[in-house]
Amino acid sequence: MSTLIVISILAIVVLYLGLFKAKQALLPISVLGLVAALALAIMEWNSNAAPIFSGMMHFDNFAVAFSSICIITTILVFLLSKNYFEKISDNVAEYYTLILFALSGIIVMVSYHNLSMLFVGLEIMSVSLYILAGIKRKDFASNEAALKYFLMGAFSTGFLLFGIALIYGASKSFDLAVIAQYVIDRPTGIDPIFYVGLVLMIVGLCFKVGAAPFHFWTPDVYEGAPTLITAFMSTVVKIAGFAAFLRLFSICFAPLQDFWMPTLLVITILTLFVGNITALYQTNFKRMLAFSSISHAGYMLFAIVALGAASTNAIFIYAAAYAVSSITAFAVLMLVKAKTGSENFEDFNGLAKSNPFLAFALTVAMLSFAGIPLTAGFIGKFFVFNAALAQYHTWLVAIAVVNAIIGVFYYFKVIVAMYFKDNQTKQIATPAYFNFVLGVSLIITLVLGIYPSFITNLF
Amino acid sequence: MIDLVWLIPLLPFIGFLINGLGRNVLPKPLIGTIASLAVIGSFAISLSIFLTFDAAQPQVIHLFDWINVGSLSIPFAFQIDQLSIMMLLIITGIGSLIHIYSAGYMSHDTGFGKFFAYLNLFVFFMLLLVMGSNYVIMFIGWEGVGLCSYLLIGFWYSNGAYADAAKKAFIMNRIGDLGFLLGVFLIISTFGSVSFTEIFPKAAGMVSGDATLILITILLFIGATGKSAQLPLFTWLPDAMAGPTPVSALIHAATMVTAGIYMIARSNILFALSPVTLDIIAVIGLLTAVVAAFIALTQTDIKKVLAYSTVSQLGYMFLGLGVGAFTGAFFHVLTHAFFKALLFLGAGSVIHAMSNEQDMRNMGGLRKKLPITFLTMLIGTIAIAGLPPFAGFFSKDEILAHVYEHNKLLWIIGLFGAFLTAAYMFRMMFLTFWGNFRGTEDQKHHLHESPVSMTFPLIVLAILSIVGGFMGVPHALGGHHWLNEYLSPVLAATNNILPALSLDHATEYMLMGISVGGVIISIIIAYVKYVSKGYVPKEEELQSGISKLSYNKLYLDELYTAIIQKPLDALSAFFFKVVDKSGIDGLVNGLGKVSIEASKTLRLLQTGNVGFYIFAMVIGIVAVLVYSFIII
Repeated sequence: MSTLIVISILAIVVLYLGLFKAKQALLPISVLGLVAALALAIMEWNSNAAPIFSGMMHFDNFAVAFSSICIITTILVFLLSKNYFEKISDNVAEYYTLILFALSGIIVMVSYHNLSMLFVGLEIMSVSLYILAGIKRKDFASNEAALKYFLMGAFSTGFLLFGIALIYGASKSFDLAVIAQYVIDRPTGIDPIFYVGLVLMIVGLCFKVGAAPFHFWTPDVYEGAPTLITAFMSTVVKIAGFAAFLRLFSICFAPLQDFWMPTLLVITILTLFVGNITALYQTNFKRMLAFSSISHAGYMLFAIVALGAASTNAIFIYAAAYAVSSITAFAVLMLVKAKTGSENFEDFNGLAKSNPFLAFALTVAMLSFAGIPLTAGFIGKFFVFNAALAQYHTWLVAIAVVNAIIGVFYYFKVIVAMYFKDNQTKQIATPAYFNFVLGVSLIITLVLGIYPSFITNLF
Repeated sequence: MIDLVWLIPLLPFIGFLINGLGRNVLPKPLIGTIASLAVIGSFAISLSIFLTFDAAQPQVIHLFDWINVGSLSIPFAFQIDQLSIMMLLIITGIGSLIHIYSAGYMSHDTGFGKFFAYLNLFVFFMLLLVMGSNYVIMFIGWEGVGLCSYLLIGFWYSNGAYADAAKKAFIMNRIGDLGFLLGVFLIISTFGSVSFTEIFPKAAGMVSGDATLILITILLFIGATGKSAQLPLFTWLPDAMAGPTPVSALIHAATMVTAGIYMIARSNILFALSPVTLDIIAVIGLLTAVVAAFIALTQTDIKKVLAYSTVSQLGYMFLGLGVGAFTGAFFHVLTHAFFKALLFLGAGSVIHAMSNEQDMRNMGGLRKKLPITFLTMLIGTIAIAGLPPFAGFFSKDEILAHVYEHNKLLWIIGLFGAFLTAAYMFRMMFLTFWGNFRGTEDQKHHLHESPVSMTFPLIVLAILSIVGGFMGVPHALGGHHWLNEYLSPVLAATNNILPALSLDHATEYMLMGISVGGVIISIIIAYVKYVSKGYVPKEEELQSGISKLSYNKLYLDELYTAIIQKPLDALSAFFFKVVDKSGIDGLVNGLGKVSIEASKTLRLLQTGNVGFYIFAMVIGIVAVLVYSFIII
């Protein structure tokens, strides 16, 4: 649990650094602090900890794994932020602080053992994100994104909270173990308000992970927010949302699968189609990524629909693959945008000639998104589909495969632009930090794709 | 030492990486040295494993878990036992010699670095093939050597015919590979595993003639007919002679083409329990042996003669497998590797000296000019013809003895093929090295013995072709057949099922006598025709009578074109015009249009208006509640 404490203190330290104008120290201290937090988290692997803080939180292997992946992704985001924040705002320290606070909320979200902690974690994260989305104070789009996100987030949080309240009303506890016992003790005759609460919680959580039909905020917020914040939201935040979702359902609601599964199934299919089909027609790369993130949420929902022993593993692998590919995509996007000033597919024309490494890294990321073998994305999809097939959702997998094919179309658009279209562009100067992040992501994507065994047997 | 086994394939792979990346940068001598040292290093390790290995059980060296899906686990592991050790010695040993030879042979080629990179890569894949502890690793090697074979046959790809030969080899191999792959799938569904050490004990408990086993073995054998050039898939091998001669020696004589035999010998228990498959293998092998020998009789290209001879000898190996002589067949793999590599390298030396002339009608009288090449090739020819005490005699007679016991008719046909072998091989020798020189003045002026880097491997291989047979001297000749004893742990289960050879010594002497006598008569006939009468085949004579059939390779290529390629072309045209253009394209484009239209419409939902978004969310929530509580 020291991870959470380290990150919280780190956030405050960084805030004070900003106060004392120690701008140069922000990045190294943040990264070092996160590395320490990561090390502390990993040290708790297999320690079989019991719930702590009066049963509020439980730092089990699940929490360690998802904390680690969120921390690593945040480190990658930080490494990309060198010079970026200075350019768009004077209050640089606040950026780091807010992201760290969001991360501390996320650590709570992946390790809660009490519904009140789920809510607290979610809100710590969300409030930080509302500010982060609007941190370009003089930028109209950024403000609009923040406001939309806040309004809709507040609206959906209401449902989540209402759901928690109803579940409390039925089971008389916030504690996950007690709620799980409540469900097990009553094979029949669960209080109807418990079911209503369950559905409302699905609604609230689906909003947070951006599943259809609660996805409307995603494209607008992703497009309006600063690119790096979008990268953070579409990777770390989304993964945390799924971890919270999965944790709740696998601990408490697994016996009620017959009840919630059909609903979630419809949401999953809807999410897949909405995400993929809408992404087809986008001309803006960043907006395409927003819709593609909706469709990836659909694939990850698969593992929850087919809740079983393999689900945690499937989501973990999918999330890892998705996170590194997203980071790559956003990193290249930032570089391209810094040069051309816009984010359309045409801006990538001829990138393979001017910057072969950037083009190659982005190509691998896109192949991974599309689920082409030898990339991590393929392994992710394979495990997710495999989990679904294990529960005999054959036709669901068929639908997902059709969607994966649709995905190939828009992911390959950017590859086509980079390799087959000419443009007399000059080379983009890539800072060393970027090359490092791209290299790490590339290696992770390929290693996971070729030799997945070392994380497929974690759970 | 066995812990270092992973180094054996790794060294050539490192050689491949260095030479592949540095092919345009590194100087030629360095490239040749790196490539050769990589394989020699592997040979040294293989040799030390051979000297120290004494386990009765196969040793599996587990490197890492590779694929774990459901109940199927495919480790990346190597299996070291007597069978793989012998193959390791052949691949790395002969591989080393051929690398050294190539450094001389290819010295004038601009693609020197590329050539050695490919050659190292081939050795790497071939080692994976024989070291893999399961069918999947074996399949990776199997496909990898196919790829390298393709790359090396088409090494001089600017020549259209050579590129076509490469494609032909690749496609024909693919047909076989499909069979192999289906066989592996069936093995997975039958045994739930791909590891040899798990499958074979399970299989040993099954009844002989089990339908699934028969199907598995037939599929595996189809794979072997592609890789090891058997009827009906052998026509790629003669065309594969388009590649540089060292490639023909290494890939298309000594190693890759014997992969099919290795695979069957590896799976011996599966085949021993499938008598039907064994009969099929014996017949196909025998037919291939005789047909190829018949074609070889009239070929005028020195490498084509050797290519058909390889096909024919591979046929004998399959014949041996088919009659249950697993040791004999594998014995012939080993001896054949010695003398056929020798003959190819010798032919390469001749071609080198003749300024790339391959037609024997333009050669003649070379024995004075190329004494070392001549002597070593003569040794190789005697070995393949099967005169004692040279290597080929022991292995071929062991196979024929088993055939005799199995079925007399097969034996007569096989023996006839063996006589043909002696005839065409000595025909090749007489045309090349005896008589008068028939080439141009320019070629005559240029004639020279090859450099030491090329003659050294010839000499080593010649010695092996002389003494190689002593590893399997039969009891009838006072030996104790070392190879048979050495391989017995691998073949233990099979030996319990198939009867051992029960011929008495008198019969064995008789068989040897008949075969040696026949061979000598064949050589004399060839001598009279090509040396005493000084006959040189002419184009119009080759195109008449029975020669015509042989010279034109029984019209097999034309036959395949007529009965397979033409109908396939027609079918493909039909599919392209009707099914693909209007059917699939229409469907795909239609789906694409629908998706794009849907995308346009869905996109409009994203109005940017928060009020609308919240309204849509509420609709969604109501829908979810209604769906959860009322519809279900």
